Amino acid sequence: MIQVVGYLALGAAIAIAAIAAFVWARARQAVPDGNAPVYRVRKYYAAALVVAMVGAFAWSLPLTPYDALASGPAVRVDVVGTMWSWKLKKDGDDSAGPLVLPVGTPIDFDVTSTDVTHAFGVYDEDGQLLGQTQAMPGYTNRLRLVFDEPGRFHVLCLEFCGVVHHLMLTEFTVR
Amino acid sequence: MSTTSAMQEQAWTAGARPDPRVRKAAIVWMVTLLTAFAAMVVLGITMRLAQGAAINLSPNTFYAVMTMHGLGMAGALFSAGIVVIWYLIAIRLRSSLAVMWVSYVLVLLGVIGLLVATLWGGFGAGWFALYPLPFVNPTWASWTIGTTIVSLMIMGVAWLAMQLEVLRAIASEYGLKRMFGWDYLGKETPAEPLPAGILIASVCATAGVLGTITGAATFMIYLFKWLVPATQFDALLLKNTMFMFGHTIVNVAMYCGLCAVYVLLPQYTRRPWKVNRLLVIAWNATLVFILFAYFHHLYMDFAQPEAIQILGQVASYGSALPATAVTIFGVGSQLYRSGIRWTLTPFSFLAAVTGWAIGGFAALLDATIAFNRVFHNTLWVPGHFHTYFLVGFVLIVFGFVHHILDSRAERMAGVGIATMLVGGYGFVLMFYLGGLHSVPRRFASYQMIPLPSVAEAGTRYALYGGLFASLFLVGAITLLLAGLVGRRRAATRAATPVPEASVGE
Repeated sequence: MIQVVGYLALGAAIAIAAIAAFVWARARQAVPDGNAPVYRVRKYYAAALVVAMVGAFAWSLPLTPYDALASGPAVRVDVVGTMWSWKLKKDGDDSAGPLVLPVGTPIDFDVTSTDVTHAFGVYDEDGQLLGQTQAMPGYTNRLRLVFDEPGRFHVLCLEFCGVVHHLMLTEFTVR
Repeated sequence: MSTTSAMQEQAWTAGARPDPRVRKAAIVWMVTLLTAFAAMVVLGITMRLAQGAAINLSPNTFYAVMTMHGLGMAGALFSAGIVVIWYLIAIRLRSSLAVMWVSYVLVLLGVIGLLVATLWGGFGAGWFALYPLPFVNPTWASWTIGTTIVSLMIMGVAWLAMQLEVLRAIASEYGLKRMFGWDYLGKETPAEPLPAGILIASVCATAGVLGTITGAATFMIYLFKWLVPATQFDALLLKNTMFMFGHTIVNVAMYCGLCAVYVLLPQYTRRPWKVNRLLVIAWNATLVFILFAYFHHLYMDFAQPEAIQILGQVASYGSALPATAVTIFGVGSQLYRSGIRWTLTPFSFLAAVTGWAIGGFAALLDATIAFNRVFHNTLWVPGHFHTYFLVGFVLIVFGFVHHILDSRAERMAGVGIATMLVGGYGFVLMFYLGGLHSVPRRFASYQMIPLPSVAEAGTRYALYGGLFASLFLVGAITLLLAGLVGRRRAATRAATPVPEASVGE
């Protein structure tokens, strides 16, 4: 998904710059009422934009991360952020060892904070951000993730929370 | 001569000259704000070089610098936007100079307070100071919290006074219905045309007032919390109000810049930019979208009702329609085959709307909830807003300043803006590449991240970004100096014709 966004942005930037260069080059010509073609193009542009936006809505809304709020069975993990560390505890597991989660099973991270706002960002071993939610005092946000591959996953705080924010890290294992 | 041409000719020769005192106030404001802007760029370069491991900054210092950079940039650019619309309406309408000078002093006082609190006192809760971060386990002294809050409130008073003065001046001449163009929504076209600048200034000042008042309420709560620490407030509610304030004012700044494009570009193309029903609908829609688009900052707050999240995406997408189909196409129709002689001001306007469109598209992608899940609080975010500010709004401001200075140092200005464009696009590209590598924003250092690809990408792109930003700064200083060196004094300037369809009557 991240690569798709990159290509979309690059394509749009090139197209916009090309149109601007075209306008710049043609602006020196003096033609009475010479801007009529711009208005003709605008109608088609507006129609295309509306279609594109409706299409983007239809495609993207099912991909919002909110569906976990009314979800089926999953392994639940309580996540508590406190300046500047994370506590992760699997529901029903009182052992003090490192957190180990099952591969291929929906995991619901119930994320909150005891002090200020943090953000729970989960990265895979390749450094790709898989998902995130805010950790806010007084609220619990549920982030559902399914890990298709085993491995070690890293948690970074993604909301600025003070001078040790960049060191608010932890990890867990999926196997 | 055709009727249209005759009208254009009449419009072109109509002419309008600002009161010299208005021009002087605008120049003082703008030179001050651009100097402050350059200082904030230096802070930004410092941050990127520190993230790039080229220089050493302690985390305390880094986050204090980050806080000042954010507050200073938002404050300077929003102030610049307000001054732009005030100057444009003051060309034709009676407006208070005293308000502008008092506000100037208040903004300066606020900036001094922020500098003391952050760079001296070490306050480092970020520009948005998410509740309750400033008050919990702080590594900064208590007085810095109070100083920051009071400084922002002083600046808020100035912003509110200036915007209300703009609205008062417009409303007293045009009335509520006409200033927003609502009389264009009836069956008949109004007999008296509404200048585009009046419509846009009305929309900008209205949205700005609403944003500023929300900010004032938020900072009053913060002040109460500072005075009575045992008091507790709702973190999600205050996050909403903080972003309603912050997102709105930075958006309004950009739209204030567009007001200058609508008013001044016709002077160079000799084509009037007339208000019609479509333009009125577009700008009234923009007013609504500005106020609701901030919800996209809270997509990752899953406790926020889902309907509000979707409304955020609707408002964010919706704002693209009037922005591009009306304003950007409007710029295109102004320029296309107009026979314009390119000088710094119209070129900077074209470059600015290009940057606005590119940054706006990147913002739209981030405003899509499905994408935001993996881009929120990564470097993609500063990528898009630095695009539509550095190579967007700031270019409009420079074009505006060169216009009111009536500068003739075109060659020097050309070198300046070309350097800004190369440095600016190089700088923002490093942010985008960082975002594509999932590099988080607001990290004092990337070297402790236990993910080699993220740590390496974050450090490398930060260093390159710092170098490109330095190039941008050289260009910006060159452009400012070009304006000052090449300026012509009011007494020696030739009459500057202004199409009546664009400026006040």
